[in-house]
Amino acid sequence: MAIFNDWRFWFVVPMVLALGTVVLFPSGYLVWMSLTHWIVTDPERYFDGVGNFRVLFRSADFTSAVWVTLVYLVASTALMVAFAMGLALALSAPRTPSALRSIVIMPLVIPPVVAGFTWRFLMNGEMGFLGAFLLPGLGLKMNMLADPTGAMISVVIADVWSRAPFMFLIFLAAMQSIPRDYYEAIRLDGANVFQEFLHVTLPMIRPAVVVALLFRVIDAINTFELIYVMTKGGPGRATQTLALFGWKSAFQRFDFGLAAALGVVMVVVTTVCASIAYRRFLRPAT
Amino acid sequence: MLKMLNRAALAATLTAGLTAGLMAATAPARAETTVNIVGFGAGFAWADLFGPSGTEKTQKLLDFEKKEGITVNMEYADEEVARQKVLLDLVNGTGNYDLVMLGSDGAVQTFSAAGYLEPLDGHLDKAKDYFDAAKVYKPFLEANTVDGKLWALPYYSFGPGVVYRKDIFDKYGITTFPKTTEEMEAALKTIKAGLAKDGITDVYPLTMRGAPGEEPSLDLAGFVFAFAGYPAWFEGGATTPAEIKAKKAKPIFTGDFKKGFETFVNWAKDYGPPGIATHTWVDMMNLYGQGKAVVLLPSAINGFAGIPGSEVPAVKQFSAYGPSPIGPSGKPIESFWTFSVGVSNFSKDKDAAYKVLAFMTSEPVMEDFATQIGWPYTTYPSIMHGPVLTAKWPKETLDGVEAAFISADPHYFPYIPELNEFMDKIGTAASEAIAGTKTTDEALAELQSWAEERMERAGYYK
Repeated sequence: MAIFNDWRFWFVVPMVLALGTVVLFPSGYLVWMSLTHWIVTDPERYFDGVGNFRVLFRSADFTSAVWVTLVYLVASTALMVAFAMGLALALSAPRTPSALRSIVIMPLVIPPVVAGFTWRFLMNGEMGFLGAFLLPGLGLKMNMLADPTGAMISVVIADVWSRAPFMFLIFLAAMQSIPRDYYEAIRLDGANVFQEFLHVTLPMIRPAVVVALLFRVIDAINTFELIYVMTKGGPGRATQTLALFGWKSAFQRFDFGLAAALGVVMVVVTTVCASIAYRRFLRPAT
Repeated sequence: MLKMLNRAALAATLTAGLTAGLMAATAPARAETTVNIVGFGAGFAWADLFGPSGTEKTQKLLDFEKKEGITVNMEYADEEVARQKVLLDLVNGTGNYDLVMLGSDGAVQTFSAAGYLEPLDGHLDKAKDYFDAAKVYKPFLEANTVDGKLWALPYYSFGPGVVYRKDIFDKYGITTFPKTTEEMEAALKTIKAGLAKDGITDVYPLTMRGAPGEEPSLDLAGFVFAFAGYPAWFEGGATTPAEIKAKKAKPIFTGDFKKGFETFVNWAKDYGPPGIATHTWVDMMNLYGQGKAVVLLPSAINGFAGIPGSEVPAVKQFSAYGPSPIGPSGKPIESFWTFSVGVSNFSKDKDAAYKVLAFMTSEPVMEDFATQIGWPYTTYPSIMHGPVLTAKWPKETLDGVEAAFISADPHYFPYIPELNEFMDKIGTAASEAIAGTKTTDEALAELQSWAEERMERAGYYK
């Protein structure tokens, strides 16, 4: 093969091997597991075709987890975009003190587990500052973490608080790279602030928004620690997302085949979403 | 001549040195037995062996190592992480851990059936100096016995009971401790009315656990046992795979299981704190310790755990223990559990592993544990009536806790390999019913349908 005689090929080999080891092998292993009947309660381990997928799609837990994940994804993403965009617009002016930006990105350095604990204690209906004092003081008597809707709102708020700074950084960087001339030109045409945002800022930062949304979708589908720490997926299954259901299948119900099947489904869904977003919004025009 | 001799001497020395060096390098290292353990609760479990940080070795442990020629390596992790490490180690058969932490509410049943554990019956006589089965409360061994074989030895363990605030009982005129579930419900009703009348809104009559997952199931199964009078999970009260297969016993979650489940859910909703649908044992312990709950049941140990650290004087002063209420069937609400440790079937030296296990569950070690935590719970009658606990607790409390151990039926739920899954599904169904996302009937109907499908898939009805 001529390719083996090309010296440049051998420079690529280590990278291909590294990728194969860290990406392809685990992915292949995941697929193999998903096609295997592998549950600790049954000593027999054998190839089961699509058996795990059949069980998964029939399971009420899966249907519920898909719905919960969708609600969580849409609610947290919408809030996060609005919050991060608002902050980026407010803090993108050249003379904004950098300390303000540093404060905004502080939650980003806090691990999700710690953020989860913090919000769990804040929202606690018996002793938390928000759950037991502030919200009841404002007339909201609902116990946030024990009520199905309240629990979902709580984890969304915690997630937005924890992850919005990342989106803020992407938006901020994009906004700061917009040439000032564009704004001057549109102002000469008599545009107001809203029109500036709609006709200059938004079109110019569109690729950044798409990238941020891509990251966000993948992140939301895979969120585990924060929800686990705050509600363990409860009350009941009110906040049990796909990631939590996967963990539960493997480590509480010892069904590795089912958990792997769910993993494959999640990989396919996120890959499809990412591909559509890339093709629709990011691929350079040819 | 002298020069030659010097050279010869130098050459001989070098040769001897080189030979000795080579021999030392190629000789096998001195054989040393090592036993690895994974567990949780650094500074709590075996603090007398591994110190308050879990990273030291106390003189007691060093003496054991020296005497037996075994090096003991303990790896502490967060409870969930430790469980995952155990599971992955056993599933892959790596044998990295010789001793594995288990629990009598799922792990023992599942892992023994899967062949991951070494049966201990044949080892019991090998380290009798450390662990003598005749000296511990029998039910703690029964809890770890599956299919007639012993799979683990008990460490931290408990039976059912009630911890309550006697001052609040007295305040609302409850002078006799409620003996039955009916009387307990009446007492809870009285307390609720009294607290409302006094305008006390941050104290709740009852605290239990209702978080999704396996958390509530140990206690909930106790309610089912008390109301049905038997482990009402499968037709005819079948509790083992052999019985279920022989009788082709179907799940009965919409049958006899229902009354106990319903009572658990209703008590939690009517008398518990608003957040109970997400509460774990830590929450019930904290709530009781903060003086925000009047009654904690049926896992009384969580109440005792909340008392020492309480900053509410009345909690320390007026907390009392009572027996678990008797249900309509004549059986008490059970809550029986052992944090047990087993020998991995993949351990390279099972005898050494067992010896370490026997030492770690021995009377002196358990006595140190009792001294450290101070709760009236231990696996040895001699410690229960020994100087450490009698100095700390009234006789009637110790007798009551002991009576709960002795009279308990550790098999108040089925001992099947799928127990872990069932515990998880039952707890989640309870959490949903408490939170109101499903009615009791809806939650149980879904549980029933899942259980039928699961048992069918596991091949029980072929």
